[in-house]
Amino acid sequence: MSQESAEPKQPTFDGPPLSLEEELAAAKAEPEPGPSIETVNESLKDGLNRCPKCGSTDVRLRGSTGMLVCLFCRNEWQEARVEEEFGLGEGIDQLEGTVIASGAGDIAADAADQLTFKCEACGAEVVVDTAHALNARCHWCRHTLNVNQQIPNGAVPDAVLPFRLTKDEAVEKIREFASKRRLFAHKRFKKEFVPENVLGVYLPYLVIDARAESQYWGKGEVQTRRWTEKQGDNNVTYYAADVYQVSRQVSFTVDDLTVEGSSERAQIGPANTNNIINTILPFDTKNAVKWNASYLVGFTSEKRDLNVEAVRPHLEDQLLSIGRSEVRGSLGRFDRGVRWEQEKLDVGGSRWVSMYLPVWLYSYRQESNGMLHYIAVNARTGETMGSIPVSQPKLLLAAFTVGTFLEGIAGAILVASA
Amino acid sequence: MTLDLITTLIPALVPMASDDGPVWLLAAGPAGGAATYWAFYRYYRNTDKSHQFERDTLIEAQPVQGGEEKVGHISKTRDSDIDGDNSDNYRQRVQRVQ
Ligand SMILES: [Zn+2]
Ligand SMILES: [Zn+2]
Repeated sequence: MSQESAEPKQPTFDGPPLSLEEELAAAKAEPEPGPSIETVNESLKDGLNRCPKCGSTDVRLRGSTGMLVCLFCRNEWQEARVEEEFGLGEGIDQLEGTVIASGAGDIAADAADQLTFKCEACGAEVVVDTAHALNARCHWCRHTLNVNQQIPNGAVPDAVLPFRLTKDEAVEKIREFASKRRLFAHKRFKKEFVPENVLGVYLPYLVIDARAESQYWGKGEVQTRRWTEKQGDNNVTYYAADVYQVSRQVSFTVDDLTVEGSSERAQIGPANTNNIINTILPFDTKNAVKWNASYLVGFTSEKRDLNVEAVRPHLEDQLLSIGRSEVRGSLGRFDRGVRWEQEKLDVGGSRWVSMYLPVWLYSYRQESNGMLHYIAVNARTGETMGSIPVSQPKLLLAAFTVGTFLEGIAGAILVASA
Repeated sequence: MTLDLITTLIPALVPMASDDGPVWLLAAGPAGGAATYWAFYRYYRNTDKSHQFERDTLIEAQPVQGGEEKVGHISKTRDSDIDGDNSDNYRQRVQRVQ
């Protein structure tokens, strides 16, 4: 696909000539768009996914194996891993500019979410709402109709990581998580808690490979002396220290950094519990396979609504954090610590793939404050995290009891020492 | 809010602590109560949890480069460490240089 715009990025006006530094900065700020990775699954062009053995379209994911299974002839197969298919693991240290796979292209805001499919088997017309699902069943002949073409509204990702944990396993994880947190749980939550209501959801992520260099400047202090002075009855400790101007620089590559593709969950703050979904990362994204909507049968899915440009600040933020973490080990001699004051990031190149990742999701809406609580299970690793509504009165009572108990001990010690 | 109540109680009690005797022990009650509250609140709500991408992502780094230059000396301070140490706080952004 050629999505690069032909418009020049620089204004044609010939102002005062740029200095070499300015030109270099401009060149770095506007990387040439790199070649796209074409991830369209050609064998699915007609919107139907057929069993390669018998041609039936009654195909779904077998959770225990992560393979597609034909319900008619029991044939099992799977799509190729995108890692090898598109060479995603390779050449991260040679990435230049921004390489965007075809499924990670910009979401077209004006593209209709409702797509009408003509059932190949019986001719009926079936509507698929791509905002919520990328497949539907023909209500006449039970054929599964899939949105397999990468229609240019960004609805169809490049790759999908199939569910591995079964629903029963997820229910067990959720029950275990919640039962460890019963004592102070909101009464109503305990009453209404039905872990069987868990839903399998494919959530949209952008999976990024990047090559970057980051630099940090700040102050570091090394203790040179430590002594105590008597002041009245007290000993006061004093320190002497040398102050250094410190700089650090590191080049690195990251493989499969995974960033939210949904603006709703990208907003993390005290007013919501969105961080919960983030905590069950990472996924084994290396095992993601080429897009085939049959992997989605029986699950819901959410459409990506963030484009590469919108996610870029998140990426830069995370790269800066990674660089900071990488240079941490070189600061040992500054025993009084280091205060970073400035930082700089150059992203040499990045490669973006749009991917659906599998999550079992239990959600509960707390009536009293309208807050949405989740218990999320990573459907690959089983990692579970959640937010349980707390009964404030019970928790306060407990805190009070502990406080009173400690105060009692403290009082007893004071009385004894008086 | 009840949370705010507890967090304001603690600093209010700290001035009571003095070095003359173990009077600071009196802070044990409120401090222990608040600690209990927060520990359980965190365990239930997990508001502080996040994906540790700095550690759990495949990262290949070249050797770290850099330098340091002595620019000053503090001859006497009661501070046991540098002000605003953020070397472990990887996600706290500082001034971004272009
Ligand atoms: Zn078959
Ligand atoms: Zn049909």
